[in-house]
Amino acid sequence: MDYRNLMSWAVRPQVVRSVVSAFSVIITVSSCAPVSPPDPQAKLIAKGKEVFFNETFNGNGRTCGTCHPLQNSLTLDPAFIATLPANDPLFVAEFNPDLKKNFENPTLMRQFGLILENLDGFDDLENKFVMRGIPHVLALRTSVNSPQGPRTGWSGDGAPGDESLRSFATGAVIQHFTKTLNRIPGVDFRLPTDEELDALEAFQLSLGRQQDLALPLALKGTVPKRGQAIFLDNGLGKCNLCHVNAGATANFGGGNIGNANFNTGVENLPDQPADLTGERNPPDDGLGTPGDGTFNTPPLVEAADTGRFFHNNAIETIEGAVAFYDGEAFNNSPSGRALAAADPNKVGIELDGTQIVAIAAFLRVINALENIRESIAQLEASLEKRGAEAKELLDRAVSETGDSIRVLEGGGLHPEAVARLQEAKRLTKKANRSIFFRRKLTREAIEEQQRARAFLVETS
Amino acid sequence: MKLKRVMGVVATGVWLWSGMLSAHGQKATEMFIPIGQSPGLSNTISIIGTIEAIDPRIQTITITGPTGSWTAMITGRTKIWLDKSKLRLPNQKGSFSDLQKGLLAEVKYEDPEGRGRAKGPVDWIKVQLTGPGEKAGEMRQ
Repeated sequence: MDYRNLMSWAVRPQVVRSVVSAFSVIITVSSCAPVSPPDPQAKLIAKGKEVFFNETFNGNGRTCGTCHPLQNSLTLDPAFIATLPANDPLFVAEFNPDLKKNFENPTLMRQFGLILENLDGFDDLENKFVMRGIPHVLALRTSVNSPQGPRTGWSGDGAPGDESLRSFATGAVIQHFTKTLNRIPGVDFRLPTDEELDALEAFQLSLGRQQDLALPLALKGTVPKRGQAIFLDNGLGKCNLCHVNAGATANFGGGNIGNANFNTGVENLPDQPADLTGERNPPDDGLGTPGDGTFNTPPLVEAADTGRFFHNNAIETIEGAVAFYDGEAFNNSPSGRALAAADPNKVGIELDGTQIVAIAAFLRVINALENIRESIAQLEASLEKRGAEAKELLDRAVSETGDSIRVLEGGGLHPEAVARLQEAKRLTKKANRSIFFRRKLTREAIEEQQRARAFLVETS
Repeated sequence: MKLKRVMGVVATGVWLWSGMLSAHGQKATEMFIPIGQSPGLSNTISIIGTIEAIDPRIQTITITGPTGSWTAMITGRTKIWLDKSKLRLPNQKGSFSDLQKGLLAEVKYEDPEGRGRAKGPVDWIKVQLTGPGEKAGEMRQ
């Protein structure tokens, strides 16, 4: 056989095109699934996602996704920040001379994930600011509403206009996206349009849980199960009073009062990490101007994998966050004193080390269960998609699974479930690389997720 | 059972206290939003019109828009902002003396029902400046 002739035939352009075309057909057929046209709400959510992650509003280069990246549970922490390139728009204060002063504090951003906010006005940028962590934007459908109106941001008053979640983006653009500190609309940024606000709201409401848990869960782990019991015990942990079903709403015995604000004394914690640096870190007075010292209640289901904790990122671990409620800062606060006044023994919250770890273990397990639910949802959704859309869903499933592994391992919990999750993660990554076996591998990954879940909770 | 009741009363008290204060929760970025563009407020909750009358004695102004006239009471809590976005200049804090006849203004009452009641204390008011180099009080006299 004359191989030289064969090779010269094989590299003819029309032959190459035919071969590529044939492979394309095979690839398309192999990953083909019936795809129904998106409904209007799905289209709105898709548009919102596009705006959230790609729209800079003609500003300094930041998008909503700059501080709420999809691959990091829609929040920022120092470990993730450390992976970003120097020219990431998050660090705009480090390379844009107009934003060098009074826009961010790069030290506190890089060390503790803190962002500068001018919540009490813009008339004294040098002195009037607070440094706050970045809350995730998961499960907003369960956490924004209150009888006083919508609550957004750490102090509940994060939005201009009607203060709704829909209006939040307008305030965020003005605060965080501006090219200069003049903050002139049409010059330093453009404001979101009504259509963009609608889409952003729809997208944000679609993220994460759409409803609260119904506790107690039939947990299998001895320590998490005890943690759940303490959490729900209104005479011991008292957690469920302000975090009903580990969510963001309160119920003091007279019915659920929705998402509420409390002064829990976080600002009075000694040795706050940001203060220890010597950087300027003015006190944060919370809701209103002047502030009333209260801050908004976040949901707890997503807490374990979205630290640091509290509005000032004062605490690194979920165990530390639970332990805060056993300390003096909380028990001397208005909320701590209110609990003590209502207690027959006049005790606010008093927990021992084992009880603190048990509550944290419970929070870790419900976070992992939520990660598993979300992972399965992404994997199942990927079966209905192809190409880049399927790839992105699988990437998200990998990220969620990584979170569940990290959350359980961090508490030394359920090693057998961790092993199943690691296998699920491996299969999902393999599915994402596979041309011919993506769907089969994805189904296997779903099965592994289900096996992992069965180690954590009784499944019917 | 008694514990539950007492806890409910005390904690609800704390919650209601914080809730009452929240009615005046600050929304600092509002000052940079041009007249008519405040999301969820402009032309629904707020009122946009021209300042027709000013009474410094009782600190009220009257605004006339396409659908009627409204009286707005300026209090110590009212935030007054100068909307200079048409001039491509930064918006600024203003004072009662910046509220001049003929200026376009947007008013948000403290009471969400204020628009319907056509009077009452004002949460914030924006007045639009369109002449370069002029203060509010020097325009349209």
